[in-house]
Amino acid sequence: MAVIELSELEVRLANRLVLDGLSGKLAGKAIGLLGPNGSGKSTLINTLLGFHAPSRGTAHVFGLDVRAHSREIRAAIGYMPENDSFIGTMSGIHFVRYMAELAGVPASHALERAHEAMFYVGLGEVRYRKISTYSLGMKQLVKLAQAIVHGAKLLILDEPTNGLDPVARQRMIQLIREVRDAGDVNLLISSHLLRDVDETCDEVLILKKGHIAAICNLEEERRANRRFIELETVAAQEPFAVAIRQLGCECASFPGERWKLVMPETVEIRDLYAIAAQQGVQIRKMNYRRDSLEDIFLTAMDSKLGVARVGV
Amino acid sequence: MSVFKRSYRRYSGPIASDRFRLGVLMRYGAADLWGSRITNVLFVLCMVPALISMAVIYIMNNDVVRLLLSGQNGSGPKIAMDERFFFAIMQGQCWPALILIAWIGPKLIAGDLANDALPILLSHPISRTEYVLAKLAVLVGFLSVVTWVPMSLLFGFQSYVSAVPWAGEHLHILWGMFVGSLIWIILLSLISLSVASWVKWRIVATGLLFATVFVPAGVGTVFNAVMRTHWGNLINIPDTMETLWIRMLQVNVPAFYTRAGLPTTALLISLFVMCALCVGALNARIRAREVVRG
Repeated sequence: MAVIELSELEVRLANRLVLDGLSGKLAGKAIGLLGPNGSGKSTLINTLLGFHAPSRGTAHVFGLDVRAHSREIRAAIGYMPENDSFIGTMSGIHFVRYMAELAGVPASHALERAHEAMFYVGLGEVRYRKISTYSLGMKQLVKLAQAIVHGAKLLILDEPTNGLDPVARQRMIQLIREVRDAGDVNLLISSHLLRDVDETCDEVLILKKGHIAAICNLEEERRANRRFIELETVAAQEPFAVAIRQLGCECASFPGERWKLVMPETVEIRDLYAIAAQQGVQIRKMNYRRDSLEDIFLTAMDSKLGVARVGV
Repeated sequence: MSVFKRSYRRYSGPIASDRFRLGVLMRYGAADLWGSRITNVLFVLCMVPALISMAVIYIMNNDVVRLLLSGQNGSGPKIAMDERFFFAIMQGQCWPALILIAWIGPKLIAGDLANDALPILLSHPISRTEYVLAKLAVLVGFLSVVTWVPMSLLFGFQSYVSAVPWAGEHLHILWGMFVGSLIWIILLSLISLSVASWVKWRIVATGLLFATVFVPAGVGTVFNAVMRTHWGNLINIPDTMETLWIRMLQVNVPAFYTRAGLPTTALLISLFVMCALCVGALNARIRAREVVRG
């Protein structure tokens, strides 16, 4: 089942068309939401949470319509907003416990879960301090703690590394990865930082001016990149190319004894080295194609609107 | 799971029914209010008139005590246990409630708005309506404890200590106190919530609450004087409420004290309009996300 399914989703706010006919299925374990300012990322998140009603079309989360089942959807979601959003007069533990109970965790379990979540995100030592006294990084972490405390099926993290220093950012990325790898939870991560999305997500939805510019399965993209190799050689002649083709590789030569290969799944790098050794060819340089998320993003931004899928 | 185990583990325990979510909001709201010493002090002060009234009822129904208080002339103090007495009790309980809510109303909601907690609160399975209802229920509950609950207890006490059957003939007082108080505390709660939802600073919200009650009263009085009418009293909340209480308790008072006889329906409509305005203000403000127009 798709985690998020958009069907001609259109959202108007104050008579402005913010999301215009979004359609697509997102089934990744961790979905990145990318786009420049004003592209509609936050509006899409708010629509999924039921804060904005679609003016046309619909969206489904775990098969539930956002219009008809917003309550059930919210019960399954843990949300970490981008901006400050907390009750400053409460202690961290009190706030997380409150949010756990609001999400449906019985009072008898909520306190224990709140302690777990606070220790897990690294705020165990400051859990009895008022949130208003927390640093920016701590506030981000307490927002993450309240999002994970009730065992959400989908975590929506809006700019989770916003305003964090490099160490705190790395800690946040590590936490997100751990949560992702822990099992039965999906993530939707909105970020301006391509690196954050690249490090945590396996699928990415790129928005541009309220349209989908690209939906890209990063895992498949990474797998495909690993099969595409560039070589620089010394003393490589036509027999080298023939031997490589006999392995099943597609091969093209370029001036300066440069070669570009597409390897089938059955061929490993060491097979290339073996052929080179047999024929006395020196491999001076070997590069995987690195079609980074930045390339994908820039391609999507340059492309005409409506290009739906990249690398799938 | 012990707290020292730092790996992520998704919660898989029981989930409470949806109907308990409202209770969670109310419980945390009430706990937040009780955590303040000022709230406790105000709450105790609000009960002082009821304690004095209880003493008066006791004295008026106890001949021995009255005799002791009478001194040499032999005639003790005499206060009739009638509608007028309970109207005085009502005034003594309901007006301090305004001071109490000026403190607790903004406190209840300002904390959520100060750091924009609404997106997180409303991302849980609760609606905006439930959020407002929960806050309203906390305020109504608090104010009930200082208004109609002690007044009803005083009514019961008077019925108990009265030497002659008294309760049966005065049930309209009990009804009037209950309904009159309920109208008052719902109105105050709505005004307080709507003011607090628009003003983040608590002190300003408290001041604005008093202004909302008393400034239109002044404007209404000026309107009456200039236009030589009494319809300006429709925006005079203190006057409107006292007129309603007088009529509900069926107090026998001089004609001038009944606020020039504005129809009860008109008074109720004016209160309803005020409540509707407050609900409209809350609807505009209590949102997870604000939509910027233009």
